[in-house]
Amino acid sequence: MRSRRMLALGASLLVLLSACGTGGGSKPTIKIGSDGFYESQLVAEMYAQVLEKAGYTVERSLALGARKVTSPALEGGQIDLKPEYIGSGLGYYDASKPSGDADANAAALQEILSGKGGGITVLDYSPGEDTNAFVVRPDTAAKFSLTTMSDLAAVQDELTWGLPPECETNPLCAGALTDTYGIDFPPANLEALAACDAPIAEALQNGAVDVAELCSTQPAIAQFGFVVLEDDKQTQPAENLAPIVRNDFLAKLSSSDKTAFEKLLNDVSAKLTTEVLTELGVEVAVNQKDVADVARDFLTEQGLL
Amino acid sequence: MDVLTATLAWLLDPIHWSGPDGIPTRIAEHLAISIVSLAAAGLVALPVGAIIGHTGRGGTLAVNLANLGRAVPSYAVLVIVLPPALQLAPTLGYEPSLGLSEIPTFTAMFLLAIPPILVNTYGGLREVDRDLVEAARGMGMRERQILFRLEAPLAMPVIVGGIRTSAVQVVATATLGAVVAYGGLGRYIVDGIARNENDRLFAGVVLVAGLALAAEGLLALVQRLLSPRGLPSAGEHAFRNLAEVPAPPAFLP
Repeated sequence: MRSRRMLALGASLLVLLSACGTGGGSKPTIKIGSDGFYESQLVAEMYAQVLEKAGYTVERSLALGARKVTSPALEGGQIDLKPEYIGSGLGYYDASKPSGDADANAAALQEILSGKGGGITVLDYSPGEDTNAFVVRPDTAAKFSLTTMSDLAAVQDELTWGLPPECETNPLCAGALTDTYGIDFPPANLEALAACDAPIAEALQNGAVDVAELCSTQPAIAQFGFVVLEDDKQTQPAENLAPIVRNDFLAKLSSSDKTAFEKLLNDVSAKLTTEVLTELGVEVAVNQKDVADVARDFLTEQGLL
Repeated sequence: MDVLTATLAWLLDPIHWSGPDGIPTRIAEHLAISIVSLAAAGLVALPVGAIIGHTGRGGTLAVNLANLGRAVPSYAVLVIVLPPALQLAPTLGYEPSLGLSEIPTFTAMFLLAIPPILVNTYGGLREVDRDLVEAARGMGMRERQILFRLEAPLAMPVIVGGIRTSAVQVVATATLGAVVAYGGLGRYIVDGIARNENDRLFAGVVLVAGLALAAEGLLALVQRLLSPRGLPSAGEHAFRNLAEVPAPPAFLP
């Protein structure tokens, strides 16, 4: 009787030791999710691959849907980790909060997420961002020497604008153009086309519009060599990508494992510039390559795998 | 305020009845693209339908092709036509904005309008009593005369029925043009969805439905007027429609 008890105690001690000791032992399973579109999926896949390499078992729930689905999934613990845009992610909880300042967005998002689902941590955000971008063809940029959005006001009537149907009522669109950049709304020549979509990119490429609202990592920008005008007065929300992870998952890790875990994901973030996201987007969305292959090639090239 | 009241208030607001985004302008744009597409489809489908209907040759092939065309969604046509229409602008010398808006919308509506007209013209002519045709031939009428004096008048209610079906479909579906920056009543629907303005959205829906019903009513009248008098089946013909197809698919932005 006594010896059996001792044995059981010894066994449980062994389990404890191996769990929190060297870090070489088995690591917990992590459930990774993403939003329903390719970029979110691609970045989630990168997280998955670096974590698998480090010995974690990964359960992928990629392309779950819109934030209406993924945010409750993270809060409810159906997933432990997902890539999040620090502007839209913040706007999901409080539409008045997102600003053009990435640090402020990340801090505000952290403050809100600390109280959600038992606590969620925002890790380092990427230098690159997928935000609204006003884009021109290289020939237009050269002709009117356009580099920033402030350059647009003087030549606004000479350009045909491709702006989304909701621009008029959207403070980030008509509001920003009029109040901050001194551009009349509606512009003299306007075509109403959904932002970040294929038709608006085609229209810009073929001269049906001269300036168009796209997304800053839209593959068409790299594909057609469009010039992104700098939002020099920071009117558009900072939409850098950050891993967000449940605190109860982090609590399963020893402190050294936790540091290593965070470093793995932060190292991925550090490599994601706007240019990288755009070029990888071409591979996935235009060249139709497999998300896992594109992620693996990139991570290998960057020495992260 | 509930949706109905809000929609009604939107429709009655005088500010929405003038200017480039006003209801009269949007209705005019909507009718322009619908009428042009329908006319072009008629120019193709009526002669083709008449020839195959009169001769009876190639009918199965043509009807099957036309029905195949029905399976291609108008939205897909729009998206497929857009890039080449834009790229051809400098070569063919038209404004790029035509390639962006008018050409894709026209093509989609043109292809949508063909099958009902073609199928009804063919079917209407085939339905004419063969004994009458043989009798006409026996009396020495030429094939042209048989087609224009005998078959076409007898088939007219069915042919107009095809045009009627096409017209209703085109008026209802031309809303898609707004996706590629064309005007028309679809503008209110697309803008209403994008801006989350339900009054604008439902006003657009009501106007499109009203216009489609008006087209339906007008052509039903034409159909009745063109029914040959004394034809035993005239009354029956007037509301018979070979190409009666299910309502066009719901609008998908």
